[in-house]
Amino acid sequence: MESRVLKPVLAVYVGLFILFLYGPFIVLGILSFQQGPEGGPQFPIIEWSTYWYRHIFGLTPPSRVAPLPFGQSLIRSLTLAFMTMVTSTVLGVMSAQAFRSKFKGSGVVFYLIVLGMMVPGVLTGLGTALTANSLGIERHWWSTAYVTHVVYTFPFAFLVMLAILNRFDSSVEEASWSLGVPPMRTFRKVTFPLIFPGVLSAMLFAFTLSYDEFSRTLFASGRDQTLPLAIYGTFAVEIHPNIFAFGVLTTLFSFSLLTVYAILMTMSVRRAGKAAIQEDIA
Amino acid sequence: MAEHTDTAESAKNRTAYWLIAPGALWMTLFLAVPILMIVYVSFWTQTTFKIEPILTLASWKQFFASETYIGSLFTTIRLWLIVLAATFLLGYPTALFVGLFVKSKTISTVLLVICVIPFWTSFLIRVLAWRPMLGKEGAINIILQKLGLISSPIEALLFSEISVVIGMTQIYVVFMVGPIAFMLSRIDRNIIEAARDLGASFWRIFFKIILPLSLPGVIVGAIFVSVMVLGEFATAAALSGRKVNLLGNIIVTQVGSLKWALASVVGVILTVIMGLVIAGFLRVVDLKKEL
Amino acid sequence: MAETISNISLAGIVKRYGDVTALDGVSLVLDKNEYVSLLGPSGSGKTSLLRVIAGFERPDAGTVTVFGRDVTNLAPHKRGIGFVFQNFALFPHLSVYQNVAFGLVNADTPPPADEVRRRVTEMIRLVGLTGLEGRDIGQISGGQRQRVALARTLVTEPRLILLDEPLGALDANLRMRMRDELRNIRERLGVTFLHVTGSETEALAMGDRVVVLDRGAIAQFATPDTIMNSPANPNVARFLNRYNVLLGELRGDAFVTAYGDLAYGKRIESSDGAYGIRYDRIAVVGETAPSAGVEVPVTFVASEYLGSAVMYFFEAADGHILEVEHHLGKGRMPEYRSREKYKLQWKPEDAIVFG
Repeated sequence: MESRVLKPVLAVYVGLFILFLYGPFIVLGILSFQQGPEGGPQFPIIEWSTYWYRHIFGLTPPSRVAPLPFGQSLIRSLTLAFMTMVTSTVLGVMSAQAFRSKFKGSGVVFYLIVLGMMVPGVLTGLGTALTANSLGIERHWWSTAYVTHVVYTFPFAFLVMLAILNRFDSSVEEASWSLGVPPMRTFRKVTFPLIFPGVLSAMLFAFTLSYDEFSRTLFASGRDQTLPLAIYGTFAVEIHPNIFAFGVLTTLFSFSLLTVYAILMTMSVRRAGKAAIQEDIA
Repeated sequence: MAEHTDTAESAKNRTAYWLIAPGALWMTLFLAVPILMIVYVSFWTQTTFKIEPILTLASWKQFFASETYIGSLFTTIRLWLIVLAATFLLGYPTALFVGLFVKSKTISTVLLVICVIPFWTSFLIRVLAWRPMLGKEGAINIILQKLGLISSPIEALLFSEISVVIGMTQIYVVFMVGPIAFMLSRIDRNIIEAARDLGASFWRIFFKIILPLSLPGVIVGAIFVSVMVLGEFATAAALSGRKVNLLGNIIVTQVGSLKWALASVVGVILTVIMGLVIAGFLRVVDLKKEL
Repeated sequence: MAETISNISLAGIVKRYGDVTALDGVSLVLDKNEYVSLLGPSGSGKTSLLRVIAGFERPDAGTVTVFGRDVTNLAPHKRGIGFVFQNFALFPHLSVYQNVAFGLVNADTPPPADEVRRRVTEMIRLVGLTGLEGRDIGQISGGQRQRVALARTLVTEPRLILLDEPLGALDANLRMRMRDELRNIRERLGVTFLHVTGSETEALAMGDRVVVLDRGAIAQFATPDTIMNSPANPNVARFLNRYNVLLGELRGDAFVTAYGDLAYGKRIESSDGAYGIRYDRIAVVGETAPSAGVEVPVTFVASEYLGSAVMYFFEAADGHILEVEHHLGKGRMPEYRSREKYKLQWKPEDAIVFG
């Protein structure tokens, strides 16, 4: 009885909840079309324009608003995210594979790995900085920040792979061995193509987490900033709608990444099969 | 008859050890060592520009003697409790709808995806997006004024503790919704039907069946939210106008002025709090048994 | 002189999983080209034994010797032993053709491409899958999958093939056809088969010899005929699902049970005392019919129609259920009335006694 009333009430609530999640973006998106360069980061919209988008790409005449110093840091962030993605996916697959046999000490190792995603970034960042300092190692985004990023993303890749391998029917591997195919080749030809969707998810996780990582990077990287650090730097100074326009663009970038992932995901199994034939025929 | 008990298991184990070695080594060197380093450095001697490995309690005494630092400790705990409560209260109805009330699996997946999508945008941009929302000339004030609910804009919305709470709640509430919705979706609908047939009211069913069965989800969500909120500093930095200083903010300022020892003290305190919180939650529910 | 040791031998195989002993000193010699059925109830260690032979599990003790070579510590892929799984374990990301070609293409030293093509095509023809080469595994039927699993193994020409209840997942009709096909293939290719099955019919019909496994040990290893007519102990008789096994005690010439002393024809040495009479050697007569041979008074409980035969269930005085099989070839099926009293009769020489 009451649930018949409750359901529509909850549905309306969920609508408001989603509005709460998305509201700031909507406002941000609207304000990114503010007139420039005089228009500020608030309502009302003086006049709709794409000024601030052009401003990001340096297509506007020089004004009192300095262009965002994002060019170099964007490249650094993408490179770092790629390095992190590859390393943590490889480590994740290897570790999850190891966990398929219950080896001694597996409990301790499990918690050690999962700790990497639980410990707040401020702490791992601080610890890495302290360790690097006392060893006299200079901090860089490609060294200290990189290893700290992997500490963060590797547990995600590990857990994704563990979930996939838990459901994996190991008799197909045994079948391959019994056909005379050595274990390494079995892994490449049977196991890997079958767990590939999981690998793809692990890669997506690692890439996006690293690309957006901020609190660890703050202490662990050196002079050269990554993109989130550069954005954080703008917090302290006056904000202009160009940062909003930039926010819209990075969001679009993330969504295109998601789309690519979704497409790869749907094709992966089929493609893995096709690739196997082509390699065999060649 | 050859006995080869050890070869049977040890061969399997050897492969496992080779596979796990790189990951375990990585986590030991780049996670365990740095954390221990924080504990170690918190006892080092700090002078204005230098820090030396001479053990002392000076930084610890400094922390507990300072009203500012003790104050930030309480702010952190207060904010954590408020955000925890807010994410639970706001998130639970959504989880209830997604996990229990929506009958179609597709719709509930779509709703969850909609909740997760904001995560694929930059964390900092998401924090920043609250500024034009909450500001004096922000969207909320404009809407409230248009509706005639207020005559003059509420200034306290931005650059205050409220804005930090709102920002954090929006960012972390999904971590509450996900686990709870997952646990709710596993509840056998027949139990609820049976209870209803016996004439139990919705609220009775809710408190006697639904809430207890979703408790593991609440605990997992609470652990996620707690870990993230306790380690926060960026939201406070961006939305409080330096009015809210969390332990995380103290660490950032201290590192900024090269006071590594004091930063480490705060780091250790943060770690201890977090350990206690997680241990406390795990005491409520045995996750291994529930999941 | 390796050829003189043309067999597969297991010596004292022990396999434990924690506190559970799955295999407790199994020794067995299979001849070349032999088809051996491995029969046993679930939990008797059938699958463990197969997995030890294949090398998926290492035994805690004992040796596995294949054609004179000790393979106990050899990795599975170096053993040259084929394995057909209960769930077939086909490669879901590959087509029918790729599944069959997999072992050849990925061998340490693969044969030349045209030979691979010839052998795979020939094997697909042999198992009757011509025309389905390009299909995905998800697009073929259960029976076809089973044949892909078999073809995939046969094409690599192993000397020993282990079959782990591969027919269990099929329906009765298909199972019968696959049984014939397996026999044909074996006669053409000449390989040793060790076929695990939970079905006594299958075990007896297909095996040149049958191994009966009970609680991790071999209870009997003999020809189907011997096993059928002289089960080694009461448990074997039970697994065969052909014998009513009555409990009691052997005293001199008679077997003493709750229904009186029963006469018997053959005695088999065994530590457990039991009396066995085959389902199809029992006659059902009315309560008042004249006595003949061995006799047990019973009450009719139920019957079950099996297609070629009917099973009748009778309850003896102590609650023990006795089964009687009536082949429909022997005339029309008799009808009995529920809860009515009858007598079961059989000739003493048809009964065996253990003790």
